[in-house]
Amino acid sequence: MSRLEAKKPSFCKSEPLTSERVRATLCVLKGILTSSYGPSGRLKQLHNGLGGCVCTTSQSSALLTNLSVTHPILKILTTSMQNHVSCFSDCGLFTAILCCNLIENVQRIGLMPTTVIKLNKHLLSLCTSYLQSEFCACRILVDFSSTQTLLCLVRSIVTSKPACMLTRQEIDHISALILRAFLLTIPENTKDCLILGKSIIVPLKGQRVTDSTVLPGILLEISEVQLMKILPIKKSDTFKVALFCASLSGDLSDTGEGTVVVSSGVSLENAVLDQLLNLGRQLVSDHIDLVICQKVVHPSLKQFLSMHRMIAIDRVGAALMEPLSKVTGTQPIGSLGSISPSSYGSVKDLCTEKFGFKHFLHLIPNEATICSLLLCNRNDTAWDELKLTCQTALHVLQLTIKEPSVLLGGGCTETHLAAYIRHKICNEPESILQDDGCTQTELQLLTEAFCSALESVAGSLEHDGGEILTDMKYGHFWSAQPESPSVVDWPDLLSRCGCGLYTSQEELRWSFLKSTRHPFAPQTCLPHEAVGSANNLTLDCFTAKLSGLQVAVETANLILDLSYIIEDKN
Amino acid sequence: MAAAGSAKVALRVAEVLETIVSCCVGPEGRQVLCTKPTGEVLISRDGGCLLEALHLEHPIARMMVACVSSHLRKTGDGAKTFIIFLCHLLRGLHAVTDKEQDSLISKNIQTHRRHWKNCCQWKFISQALLKFQTQVLDYIMGHYLSKHFLSIFSSSTKERTLCRSSLELLLEAYFCGRVGRNNQNFISQLMCDYFFKCMACESGCEEVFELVDDYFIELNVGVTGLPVSDSRIIAGLVLHRDFSVYCPADGDIRIVIVTETIQPPFSTSGSEFILHSETQFRTSQFWIMERTKAIMKHLQSQNVKLLLSSVKQPDLVIYYAGLNGISVVECLSSEEVSLIQRVVGLSPFVLPHTSSQYETCNTALMNFCKPLILRSKRYVHLGLIGTCSFIPHCIVLCAPVQGLVEQHKSALHGAFKMLRQLFKDLDLNYMLQASDQNYASSPLTYKNSRESTPLPEIVNGSMQSPYQGTVVENKGKLATIQTYLKVYSNFVVPSIELETHIPRSIPKMTPTDTYQTDETLRYLSLAKTRIVDDSEPFMESNSANSTTENTRIEISYENLQVTEIAGRGSMLAVREKSLEMCTSHGYCFSSIPAGCVLPAGGNFEFLLHYYLLNYAKKCHQSEETMVSVIIANALLGIPKILYKSKKGNYSFPQIYVRTLHAIQTHQPMVSSQTGLESVASKYQLLTSVLQCLTKILTIDLVINIKRQPREVYDQDSEEEV
Repeated sequence: MSRLEAKKPSFCKSEPLTSERVRATLCVLKGILTSSYGPSGRLKQLHNGLGGCVCTTSQSSALLTNLSVTHPILKILTTSMQNHVSCFSDCGLFTAILCCNLIENVQRIGLMPTTVIKLNKHLLSLCTSYLQSEFCACRILVDFSSTQTLLCLVRSIVTSKPACMLTRQEIDHISALILRAFLLTIPENTKDCLILGKSIIVPLKGQRVTDSTVLPGILLEISEVQLMKILPIKKSDTFKVALFCASLSGDLSDTGEGTVVVSSGVSLENAVLDQLLNLGRQLVSDHIDLVICQKVVHPSLKQFLSMHRMIAIDRVGAALMEPLSKVTGTQPIGSLGSISPSSYGSVKDLCTEKFGFKHFLHLIPNEATICSLLLCNRNDTAWDELKLTCQTALHVLQLTIKEPSVLLGGGCTETHLAAYIRHKICNEPESILQDDGCTQTELQLLTEAFCSALESVAGSLEHDGGEILTDMKYGHFWSAQPESPSVVDWPDLLSRCGCGLYTSQEELRWSFLKSTRHPFAPQTCLPHEAVGSANNLTLDCFTAKLSGLQVAVETANLILDLSYIIEDKN
Repeated sequence: MAAAGSAKVALRVAEVLETIVSCCVGPEGRQVLCTKPTGEVLISRDGGCLLEALHLEHPIARMMVACVSSHLRKTGDGAKTFIIFLCHLLRGLHAVTDKEQDSLISKNIQTHRRHWKNCCQWKFISQALLKFQTQVLDYIMGHYLSKHFLSIFSSSTKERTLCRSSLELLLEAYFCGRVGRNNQNFISQLMCDYFFKCMACESGCEEVFELVDDYFIELNVGVTGLPVSDSRIIAGLVLHRDFSVYCPADGDIRIVIVTETIQPPFSTSGSEFILHSETQFRTSQFWIMERTKAIMKHLQSQNVKLLLSSVKQPDLVIYYAGLNGISVVECLSSEEVSLIQRVVGLSPFVLPHTSSQYETCNTALMNFCKPLILRSKRYVHLGLIGTCSFIPHCIVLCAPVQGLVEQHKSALHGAFKMLRQLFKDLDLNYMLQASDQNYASSPLTYKNSRESTPLPEIVNGSMQSPYQGTVVENKGKLATIQTYLKVYSNFVVPSIELETHIPRSIPKMTPTDTYQTDETLRYLSLAKTRIVDDSEPFMESNSANSTTENTRIEISYENLQVTEIAGRGSMLAVREKSLEMCTSHGYCFSSIPAGCVLPAGGNFEFLLHYYLLNYAKKCHQSEETMVSVIIANALLGIPKILYKSKKGNYSFPQIYVRTLHAIQTHQPMVSSQTGLESVASKYQLLTSVLQCLTKILTIDLVINIKRQPREVYDQDSEEEV
């Protein structure tokens, strides 16, 4: 039977953005994203009707991977955000919301896509050059002599994930653990280039969060039966380790493309087993204490090894091989024959430990950049969320090492940036007007759309119906309690700005974020003493946010530029 | 079901395509989003890509798409312009034929039914078009347009040197039509930088184009999730995989390539390995291990630090490589291997057959070899030292989504194709206007009896070579043998590349057709329609006798497949009786030299328009005038779209009037755009469109068959015998 089928013609649609359906779906997506944003964001429960476990989350990575979108435009948007998240782990929701806001605002003003794209590009380059410049007032250089800034950064990340269900104390505990785990991955003596190690997250569900801990080296989980077999470990200075990547199960390796004829009476299994036992004898004579195999170890060999007081652990999997070879300082052995003595590794100490109801064999290295983060949380979904959070935080710390600066969080960067752009465009529009051939009105309309898109990202942080304001000196973000009395005494109502850098006791004037106001010049150049005194700042990753800003504008430009959609329905 | 395959239908189809395509044309063009059934989302402004994505059903539309893609394969540019130009031509024809119907049809055809009459009329026009393409176009290009050409090479020295600023302008204009508006400048700068970084010397630029075009996929890395502005060029070669084992090394690093597993297998294919005892098994295993060890030791002694393998190597090899400080990269694709071989001139390492014989193996030196991390994915970064004129560099293309990466990739690839074309000379052959208009003559005997030149090749060649069916030239002889392919033009177009079922739907063309025109020419054409080869379907009309008053050309094609002369290939015999004709024609061979450009923004179209109108005024024959005028007007369609959104001084009528004035008064032309575009590709586009149009016009009936296409047998092999 022929399975050939004629291809159906594609479905072609012009001016996709003008359709009501697209606008509605975009609006729904934006609603989902904005309501999850920030520390007080609402949680989303995702469950697949076809099976799988329920996931409670407010993180962009979990949200976007689980949402199934069908419209091509939304697909572009979500894949763009997912790609951003997989690069930087952080600022996914910021990027997605900004992109949605931009599309929506630009559509409302109804300019030609050509002009919009050109101007958006100019505004974006204004933003990026300001953020990277020295007089930028929302960027803080990281001082590596103290852990203060890094701790603030980690705490901001953990705080912004409400689905982890952590109390204040637990947040502090986890943040400190993450930072310690990260610091353990930094090698002590480096030459010219820094190669970071790895923190392995070990799951331990059902325990209290405060039971979480960080240990140097690797924890190998072993069953209770295995534990019984392990005799009390004798004390010594070092333990010799043999790490195998070849299978020790006694199966015949690849015999080539031809045929192998075995005469009757010849047992290859025996031959291979003999070979394995020979290997075992060699290991004994080389005084090996611990044998670790990526694949399966033959029971007879295991028996033989344990008879000679060796610990044999098999099926550790490919993922652990690299950290293991780093911890033991050796190359995995791929041969069953003669093993060169140089390919044995060693660990400083070896002990069995029990955490919760699980038993572990703990390999303590002499000097390595591998550590294990034993992560506990009450239930599965909260643990999954916490694990994602830890990974994000560790990644952000790595990015911060590369580019040692952080941005003010809590919406302050966005409002400050918007104020800066407004002021800049209002005062010196010539630079853009000259080489683009667009009118002053067009520029002003678009600047307004761009800045209000930025500001409403900051505004999305407030979910409880409180007032959102900005001050007219620094351009920072302030939110007031809901059901506040009519505008009377702002300094009493407000305590600190979003990032926590300024208090309301200074002589400040406020204005509502949504209202129109006269462009003002936000104060640039962050004073050093201000940063030093404030110890509980909300901070964001610089690299992730900068790239998120760029990706959001680029994606919005891309979507606004679409004139046709051709859908292949085969 | 049958539908009249006339120009009217074609016009309707072309107009639909035009509306889609025209939104993407030029610097102001917008993007189109294509989704694939696999869920991929592609962003494109590339005409060819859009047309393919549409999966058109209408046979004429499919034919157009087929023509466009064959044009694209050749030049890599111009799909959108193709459709727009074709549409305008059809529109022009439609308007003209309504008026001139009576004047063109000669009396004896009026007896046919009206439908057939129409067909003959279309056929007549198509002949005129082909004649135009083969004679007039080259003549105008060579005679009039050539004085306006600019060159991409700076003319100060005798040695032609590539001018960076003109190349930048050229690329800018190219990318204006290919990538999103906000990335045009960036991508064209990136490409320019890349090219100049890769080029070792001025003379080797053609080699660089060729190499980059052939191995483009291997020479770039796509990274998603980063802003486009993070794209960059890195020195060396990036392999799209990680090390199997990595041993840091510096200083004198040598590489070696292997194409088989280093560990000898138990048995090779086709052989049997008989095991008699367990000891035998053990010794053979031991031998294998020792061999592997020895080979790796040998490699280490040769100072080899990196082993590139096109196959997966066993654990044992990896282990011994690690012990000997050799890094290993496995599973390289054959393209990657051949690229590395070409760049460094290295042949694969042949494993020695006996354990004693170890020669110095083929190694190459390189600067560094290290892992490269892009977006938390690890790649292998090799600092190869190029031995040819290509200095290896890679482009890292960043974009928020994969679709955009793909767009930039294909645009860059197309740009290299375009440049590769630009750096070739393009020959123009045309016949000077002789006193008499007897064109169907080639004054030589061209007899080609055996397999030396099979017919399909000639037909193919004439349709696809840039010479576009003028002269098949044999330079070796003084008296150049010229098969005047224009002879075909009297009959049905030789080759139509279509989907398999379309040629079937074309009925046999009127077996014998006699035309009696006002001129004294008499054609006796025997048009046979045959499908030459099912697997590579092109339709061919074999034409036989053609008689003019003083010339008699007999072309007889005998196709092996059809006739029973087995093992003889195709036969082509052109017999010519009157040899005295040969002096009356002057053949001109001029060429568009490599690197010819014109300012972008419709200058080529304006110039050709102007000269064609001038030519038409001088013309005597009515149909020649008509065709010239139609083409001249259709050419304006492209600048019309380019200037559509402009207002005031830059609106289309303003530009048109000013440009024509400038040409008349021999002043430099004004242009609102600063790019440059290749003349050769414009010329090729024009000829491709004209050919496509003739194909469309010669179809009189489209027959819809609702049946599974039959199995396609490959009969090539029989023909070769």
